[in-house]
Amino acid sequence: MGERIDCRQATEQLHDYLKREMTPELAEEIRAHLDRCKPCFNHARFEENYLRLLESCGRQRCPGTLRARIVALLQVEAERD
Amino acid sequence: MAEPSAAVRSFDAEALPHLDALYRVALRLTADPTQAEDLVQDTMLKAYRSWRQYRPGTNAKGWLLTILRNTFINDYRRRKIEPIAMDLEAVEPHALFRAVEEVDPEGTFFSRIVDEKVLEAVDALPPEFREVLVLSDVEGMSYAEIAETLELPLGTVKSRLFRARRLLQARLYAYAVEMGYIKPRESRDG
Repeated sequence: MGERIDCRQATEQLHDYLKREMTPELAEEIRAHLDRCKPCFNHARFEENYLRLLESCGRQRCPGTLRARIVALLQVEAERD
Repeated sequence: MAEPSAAVRSFDAEALPHLDALYRVALRLTADPTQAEDLVQDTMLKAYRSWRQYRPGTNAKGWLLTILRNTFINDYRRRKIEPIAMDLEAVEPHALFRAVEEVDPEGTFFSRIVDEKVLEAVDALPPEFREVLVLSDVEGMSYAEIAETLELPLGTVKSRLFRARRLLQARLYAYAVEMGYIKPRESRDG
């Protein structure tokens, strides 16, 4: 049986594939395509690095002063109930 | 001080763990730390007051983010100074990979871009693209969770994400070229 998806279809869905946002059947088809196709395999690695960049950036935490203010406000609300 | 009631305890237990995520999303929506703090505070108060509508054990983070996003749209968007938005038409329709595969096939230039610049590029996305990208690719929410949170059809979430990623890649590429992290693609003949 021949390949069911081509390079264009595979690359357009790379992000969904990497985020596991597709049916297992389609994921398997893409995985099989990447195994066979070096340019698409490279493209997948490129997109993986791009997604990793976004995951690791902007890990700011809620400032402690804001957290304390919110906890205090909630306490006031609760006492009003 | 009075003992906290059961309602307060359950709100504290379910909602407070999401403060970091709420703050990060608020930062990206407002692009302003002071407004982000106000937005998170307003969100938490609204959430507390409508806590009875939350069904225990469902997705508290999504529920809170829906309130945050609606509060932002209703009360903040008008106040906001939008960053200079990207020119949607200027973005090439194909993936960035095609432009760099010969010089940097693994995209190592991505790792040289500092977080601050990545976030600046995120903030320059048009708002409807920015929110899906932040929830998906920065906060790691699933497409279905995002659709529920933003009250959008799943197909809309997917198509906006597709566009948002390409827009962002184009912006990051332009920055990397400007900084000399990567050589620009040779212009085509003719």
